[in-house]
Amino acid sequence: MSDLEVQAELAAQAAQPDRSGKSGRPRRFGVAETGAAVLALFLLASAVVPQLLAPGDPLAIDPLSAFQPPSGAHGFGTDESGRDIYTRVVHGTQYSLVIGAAATAIGLGLGIVLGTLAGMLGRVVDFTVNRFLEVLFAFPGLLLALLFIVIFGPGVATATIAVGLSTAPGYARIIRAQLISVRSAAFVEAATVLGRTRWQILLRHILPNTLAPLFVLATLGIGQAIVWAATLSYLGLGAEPPTAEWGAMLSAGRTYITSAWWMSFFPGLFIVVTAVTATVLGRSIDRRMRHA
Amino acid sequence: MPLRHPWRTRRLLATTTGIVALGLLMAGCTPADSNEPVGEPKTGGTLTYASGDAEPTCLDPHVGGNFPQALVSAQYLESLVSRDSDGQIIPWLAESWLPSDDGLTWDFTLRSDVTFTDGTVFDAVAVQANIAHLQDPATLSSTGYLALGKVTGTEAVSPTVVRFTLSEPDSALLESLSQTWLAMESPTALERSQDENCASPVGTGPFLVDSWVKQNAITLLRNDDYTSPPADAAHTGPAYLDKVIWRFIPDSASRYAALQSGEVDVIDNAQPDTIVQAKQSDSIEQLDSPRPGASNRIELNSGQAPFNDVRVREAFIRSANVDDAVSSLFQGTATRSYSALSSAESTAVSNPALFDYDPAAAVTLLDAAGWGETDADGYRVKDGVRLSVEFPVSTNQSIPAEQSVFEQIQATAKETGFEVKLAPMDLSSWYAALASNDYDAVSAPYTKVGPDVLRILYHSASIVPAPSGYFANLAQVNDPAIDELLTTAARTTDATERASLYADAQNRILEGFYILPLYDQQNHYLLRSDVVGLRTLPTVAVPTLYDTWLNR
Amino acid sequence: MARLQLPVLRPLRRVLARLGGAVFVLWAVASVTFFAVRLIPGDPAQAVLGGPGSQASAEALASVNAEYGFDQPVIVQYFAQLGRLATGDLGRSYSLNLNVGPLVLSQLGGTLLLAVLALALAWLLALALATWSTQSGRIASRVGSALEIVAAALPHFWLATSLIVVFSIWLGVLPPISTGGALGLVLPVLTLAIPLAGFLGQIMRESLLRALESPFVLSARARGESERGVRWIHALRHASLPAISLSGWAFGSLISGAVVVETIFARPGLGRTLLNAVTLRDVPVVIGVVMIVAVAYILMTLLTDAVSRLVDPRLRLS
Repeated sequence: MSDLEVQAELAAQAAQPDRSGKSGRPRRFGVAETGAAVLALFLLASAVVPQLLAPGDPLAIDPLSAFQPPSGAHGFGTDESGRDIYTRVVHGTQYSLVIGAAATAIGLGLGIVLGTLAGMLGRVVDFTVNRFLEVLFAFPGLLLALLFIVIFGPGVATATIAVGLSTAPGYARIIRAQLISVRSAAFVEAATVLGRTRWQILLRHILPNTLAPLFVLATLGIGQAIVWAATLSYLGLGAEPPTAEWGAMLSAGRTYITSAWWMSFFPGLFIVVTAVTATVLGRSIDRRMRHA
Repeated sequence: MPLRHPWRTRRLLATTTGIVALGLLMAGCTPADSNEPVGEPKTGGTLTYASGDAEPTCLDPHVGGNFPQALVSAQYLESLVSRDSDGQIIPWLAESWLPSDDGLTWDFTLRSDVTFTDGTVFDAVAVQANIAHLQDPATLSSTGYLALGKVTGTEAVSPTVVRFTLSEPDSALLESLSQTWLAMESPTALERSQDENCASPVGTGPFLVDSWVKQNAITLLRNDDYTSPPADAAHTGPAYLDKVIWRFIPDSASRYAALQSGEVDVIDNAQPDTIVQAKQSDSIEQLDSPRPGASNRIELNSGQAPFNDVRVREAFIRSANVDDAVSSLFQGTATRSYSALSSAESTAVSNPALFDYDPAAAVTLLDAAGWGETDADGYRVKDGVRLSVEFPVSTNQSIPAEQSVFEQIQATAKETGFEVKLAPMDLSSWYAALASNDYDAVSAPYTKVGPDVLRILYHSASIVPAPSGYFANLAQVNDPAIDELLTTAARTTDATERASLYADAQNRILEGFYILPLYDQQNHYLLRSDVVGLRTLPTVAVPTLYDTWLNR
Repeated sequence: MARLQLPVLRPLRRVLARLGGAVFVLWAVASVTFFAVRLIPGDPAQAVLGGPGSQASAEALASVNAEYGFDQPVIVQYFAQLGRLATGDLGRSYSLNLNVGPLVLSQLGGTLLLAVLALALAWLLALALATWSTQSGRIASRVGSALEIVAAALPHFWLATSLIVVFSIWLGVLPPISTGGALGLVLPVLTLAIPLAGFLGQIMRESLLRALESPFVLSARARGESERGVRWIHALRHASLPAISLSGWAFGSLISGAVVVETIFARPGLGRTLLNAVTLRDVPVVIGVVMIVAVAYILMTLLTDAVSRLVDPRLRLS
């Protein structure tokens, strides 16, 4: 199993009808969902128009006000070069979201190709792809990403691809299972009876019915991808300083953890908040779709 | 020797003669001051040392020869000579030495009362075996091998007199022999396989290697028969400590936290913020001991554009606000250097006037050099090419504070129109970038005892890469006058004349704007206050635990 | 092949198929790693000689090339490597002057101890949270759920440094590094266990709730068994099933986490060995660690499978 499959499993489980035996219709908006929606809006705004939320320059240095603890002037404090951490964290949102989204797109894209091949092209292909995935699963996720980065050199681009690659097997297996279950659904059988070709069926009937779950999967996956990319930056293999990327900021802050805890606390907080938001939203969408 | 340790580093200090003296004074006195009123030394106890340097792959510093090896092996190996805090060579395993008039043979008279911890007698034959071991290609020595480059042979004149024969006079011979990488090991032990010798080298030191659990710790035990402290040690006879546990904790925050909680007694590679905290703490003391050899400096690659133009080099140096960066990031723990050499070298020449932060002058220089135009991003351009500076940064060799110094230089140089491209990378990639000449600026520490390090770093012969692709002259200084000065100095044994030759060479290097000095190679140790008598060897600035005892 | 119908032979067939699959996975893992590490820029002979800054002489490089066979074509080196692996010889580390087999085995213990303790603690935490939040009303249920989601989102490196700041630096009650004593294990184990408990807790709570409303619990209640007995014996047994099947995945993610945790807490172990070996281009050590992890992963999968069958009789029939 992959992290992603676990996430998907948990979401599916949470989306099942209420045990109370009531209708099973989703609640309107729970506290969690409202909170997550607000946070998501805030994160999106940070990514699209960071100047609106933090007008300063995230790279502007001011050596004389280095290592300032959180205060009125610097809500989240300043770092070793006197840069404002709040400004950097807000401006860093776009890096993290773009990295997360791109890595998810890569993982999902590869997953769709592999999953579709396995799910649609019969036993031999299915068997081969499954063995291939099994091999990939035997590598701890971080190692796959580590190897990729050491071969192609550290940096944002390679870290993004590395995360995408290491999440691909998870997507592939979920998509394959999804395809197989949709393939045996009644409306697909009906289309087969009507004489549609395999690819027509795939395009017109099966894929549209797997898209919605994929959307949920992608939302859950972005949260994971952001944490992974930050881990790589933390190990010095992702974004390069002085880029305002959360993982890189955390890594820089680790050095000063005994004297300036705020340098690593706030970037870490944003990573956690983003991941939680993605999880809550993903589940909420899942629940709504199942009951739509 | 090139420092190549995963995880680590530091730098610092100043270099007008006055500040040199002050620096040495401080380096020598800090621990003594704090430790004076504690009474009689107590014997016994276990001291735990936590190193932020990489774990050596071989405990015999003849093999390879890097700083992590020197750190630990100084506890169980000893050299023929040492150096005192004034820079004078002093006796150790050799009682005295006498060069011939032509400087081509040196007779060393050895102590006659020393045995290795395996019982083998230390004598002239043992010295011969060690020199042969260092010069044997199968040993794979690099630091020791290079240091013995002019030694053509050895001869046992008597059991206590060994004669070195040289191909030409070598004014750096004693300094080279003082380094831990050329320390004396038991010839009996050297006859074992390299694997065995790497796991448990045998020396004459105050401790001996008991066990080594890789990726965990090295255990050292007291040598109860110890007789050979260097001339500047504080006591004679065996060491005070029963046992030393030598650990490796690469994460600097964990290392400091371990010291704070008393899990360990001494740490190296202390970060500036923890040094500041330690100064305010009653339970932790600081020991500052700049490394010898070169200062920490940014080398500008004069072998290719844009830094093949001296005006562009000077413009870069004038546009970099180093002072503010050093004071904010090192918080007073490092002093700005204006020299190619460490403040630990008495021959260091400092010239602060050459390194003033002066953006206006930088602009004038760039205009004169043809970089008058500016592009949309504010960077200078010439013939459609942007004024970019490729700056690969070794994350293993530059501590975080130093990487931040580079970031601040990047920010201030940008105001003048330089686009500094910092590229943090691991050690292998960093060496690869240097070997393929993919750099315009680089910072590479180099530790060696004595000013002969200048020949290694700035003689044009050092631009020729070794088979491994490595070359030491990263500024690619190619100046026949500098070559001549350095070659002559290496042959000149008269101290005054030698110092004057090295001073001339340094002035030419500084005035050519090949380097931007930052500070000495930082070498800060933090220790629990009840650890008394810790000092560093004034040779390669590694700690020696011989005089150390625990006041608890 | 003729269908084996005898019921006794069916498990045998399954075991053989599993075994074949395992050998295939190991071969593929070794091959992928071998070629991947080959692609890493840098000269392995220099790795042997102490890294690219060593100024190694041409003779030294040549002798190392000959000794380790680096001058052979890659495909020859590949089959030589496979041949050694097949006989259980993991080769010799380039950077550590040690045989990889004993090295990896000596590091395995520390990582396994960490992983097993973390898994056990995660189970305990998850169980405690799940039982508390399912019997203490809606608010508790919401709080429990929120705690689990947040815990599952915590990155190891952030959690580890935060724990050090709070427990070692501010409170000074726990050592920030592993010193061999049991106390030194607390923070590393917590770091690995908390996020995992978040995942396990979510899945347990849901299945516990479902189990509490299922017919067999009702019938147990009807038989007059105490509420505590119902909860602990029937419901939990049922609720732990999905969590058991998660443990295989959990083990893999613990190994990934060990890379970060062992570095931060200065613990000897596979994760730290691996990270060092990758940066030093130490091919045999990388392959050795990956093989050991793959073997452990396969064993863990088999084990969770077996435990699931033990706990849930229905699986034995399928």
